[in-house]
Amino acid sequence: MFSGAFRERVRNSWVEMRENPARAGLQALGVIVGVAAVLGGFSISDSQRRRADELFVRLGGLDKLNVQPNPVVNDGRPSALQTANLGLRRQDSEDGQDLDAKLVAGASVVKSARTRVRSPYADQERQVSGIGGSYLATEGYEVAHGRAFSAEDVGNGSPVAILGTEAESVFFPHGDAIGSTLRVGDVPVRVVGVFEERVFRFRKSQGNRFAWRNRIIAVPATLVTRRFEGDAYQRLDRVTFKMRNVDAISAFSKELSGLLKANHRQQEDFRLDDVNARMKKRRSQGDVYNIIFWLSGILSILGGGIVNVNIQMASLKERVREVGVKMAIGAPGKEIFKEMMTEALLVSGLGATVGLIAGIGFSKIITGAIGIPLYMDPKSFLFAFVLASAFGFLFALYPAFKAARLSPMEALRYE
Amino acid sequence: MKPIIETRDLTKTFGSNGVAVRALRGIDLTVDRGEFLALIGPSGSGKSTLMAILGCLDKPTSGSYAFDGERVDGLSNAELARIRNDKIGFVFQMYNLLPKASVLRNVELPMLYAGVRRKERRRRATELLERVGIPEKAKSLPSALSGGQRQRVAVARALANQPAMLLADEPTGALDSKTGHEVLELFSELHRQGNTILIVTHDLSIAALASRQVEIHDGRVAEASQVA
Repeated sequence: MFSGAFRERVRNSWVEMRENPARAGLQALGVIVGVAAVLGGFSISDSQRRRADELFVRLGGLDKLNVQPNPVVNDGRPSALQTANLGLRRQDSEDGQDLDAKLVAGASVVKSARTRVRSPYADQERQVSGIGGSYLATEGYEVAHGRAFSAEDVGNGSPVAILGTEAESVFFPHGDAIGSTLRVGDVPVRVVGVFEERVFRFRKSQGNRFAWRNRIIAVPATLVTRRFEGDAYQRLDRVTFKMRNVDAISAFSKELSGLLKANHRQQEDFRLDDVNARMKKRRSQGDVYNIIFWLSGILSILGGGIVNVNIQMASLKERVREVGVKMAIGAPGKEIFKEMMTEALLVSGLGATVGLIAGIGFSKIITGAIGIPLYMDPKSFLFAFVLASAFGFLFALYPAFKAARLSPMEALRYE
Repeated sequence: MKPIIETRDLTKTFGSNGVAVRALRGIDLTVDRGEFLALIGPSGSGKSTLMAILGCLDKPTSGSYAFDGERVDGLSNAELARIRNDKIGFVFQMYNLLPKASVLRNVELPMLYAGVRRKERRRRATELLERVGIPEKAKSLPSALSGGQRQRVAVARALANQPAMLLADEPTGALDSKTGHEVLELFSELHRQGNTILIVTHDLSIAALASRQVEIHDGRVAEASQVA
C-alpha cells in the first residue's frame, strides 16, 4: 500500500492542495471546528472529573469501606434482642480486621464528642474526635509538628491531643501549642502534635473544601469513650476499613455484613458505605455531560461535513473540467477517485491536526478561566482524530465516486 | 505497416427514448502513420463526435475502430484511458490546462498517470518546453501566459508520452491569426519530424496546410482529397 505509487499520489495531492488553498482551507475548516469541539468538550469534562477524583483520593483514597450506626426505628417497646444489642463498638472493628487479613489493610475508628474546650487564649464549644486504629493514614492526615499517638496512648486512653491548624491558631495563637495543656471537658489534655494544613480548592476561586479538617481536635478514642462518656463497651461513631484492593470491597462488605449482624444480635443497626461505589456513582452522573459533548462534537463535525459538501458543489464546475482534462490525458476513473480520496484524507488529516491544537488551546482557556488544572486523556485525542478523519473520508466518498464515473467528453464540455 | 486509424461503418447515435440524433452514419476512414490529416466540416456535421471517438474519449454505437493495430471499439473506460494516456496527445481549442498548476506540472501530468518517475518527468517536461519554445515559462501559471503560449504548453503536454498520434481540435480557434499561424507552424514542424497529426477544423485555410483533407457532412465522409 505504501508503494511508490502511493507516495506519488500523496505528493501529488499535497501539490494540488497547495495549488487550491482556498478550497482546501474551507474543506479543512469543518474538520478543524469539529475536532476542536470534541477535544475541548472531552478535555474540560475530563479535567472536571479528574479534579473530583482527586478530592476523593485526598480524602484518604477510594479503597475504603465505612461502617456507621444506623439506629433501628423503635415503635413501642424495644425487643429483648434490641435491648441486648450494644451497637457499633471497638470489638466490631477488630473482628472485621480478623475476618480477612489478606483483604483488610487496616481499620480506623472514630468516637466524637461535643464538649467545652479551653486554653489560656480561648474557650469554645467544640467537636472533639476520638480516633483509633489507622485513622491518620485512612483519612489522609499527616502530623506536621510533634508526634502521632502511640499504641500506648490509644490503649490507655492517655490525655493527649493533636490539633488541626485552625484549632491550633484559635487555642494557641502564638505557636506554642506543643507541650501546652488544653482542657477538654474537665480533663486536662497535653498537646503532642499539630497536623499538616489541609487545602483543597475545587476551583481556584472557590473556598477551601477541607477547611473543616483543619478544625480537628484529635484525642485517643479510648479517652472519649472512657473518660468523657464512661462507656465500658467503647461504642463508636464510625469504623472505616482500609482495603488492600478496591475490587475486593463488595465481596468483603457482604462478609462483614454477616459478621456485624451476628455481633449485633441480628439487628441491622449499621450502614455500610463503599467509598469507591459512591465515587463511581458520581462519575456516572458525569457521563451525561460526556454524552452531550459527544453529540455536540459529532454534530459540529457533521455540520463541517455538510459545509464541505457545499464547497465541493460550489467548486464543482471548476472541478469537473479539471477531471475532464485529467481523463482526456489518460487518467482512468479509478485514479481520479483515488486522487480525490487522498486529497480528502490529507485535508481532513491536516484539519484534524490543526483542530487538535485549537482544541488544546480552547481547553486551556476554559479550564484556566474556571481555575482547574487541565487534564487531557490521550484517548480523546485519538477519538477526535479518528472521528474527523472518518467523517472527512465519508463525505469525500460521494463526490469522488461521482467524479470517477464522469465520461471524459461530458466533463470537458461541462458548463 | 498497419494504418494508425482504421474505421469501418462507424455510427454514433445520441439520445435513447424517442428522439434519437444520428451524429455519425457510417464512417469509413483510414489514416496512415506520418500523415497530417485535416478533418473539416461545418458545425453540426458530426466532426466533433468523430474526433471524440477517434480520440478514444467516447465509444461508437456500432462499427469497428482499430487504433494503432488494436481494436478499441469494445474496450472498457479504463482501457480507453490507458490508450489516451499512452498513444494520443490532445490539443484543445480552449487549451484545457489545469489553471492552478504550473506550466511544468501541466506538462508532467500525462507522465504522472503513465507512472513515470518524478525526476524523469521533470527532465522530459523541461525538454518539451524547450522544444515548443517556452522554456522560461516553466514555473508560471497558465493564466500568466498569452493564448499562443498556452497552446504551446498544451502541445508540449500532448507530446509528453511520445504518442502515436496528435489530435488537435480547432487548435487556433481562440488565437489571433498571427499566433494561430505560429502554432500551425509548430504542427507542421512536428509533422516533418515524423509525427502523425489529425487536426479538426472548420477553417479551410488551416486545412490547406495538411497533407490530406477529409470532409464530414451529415455524419458521413463527403469527400477526401489528396494534396501533393
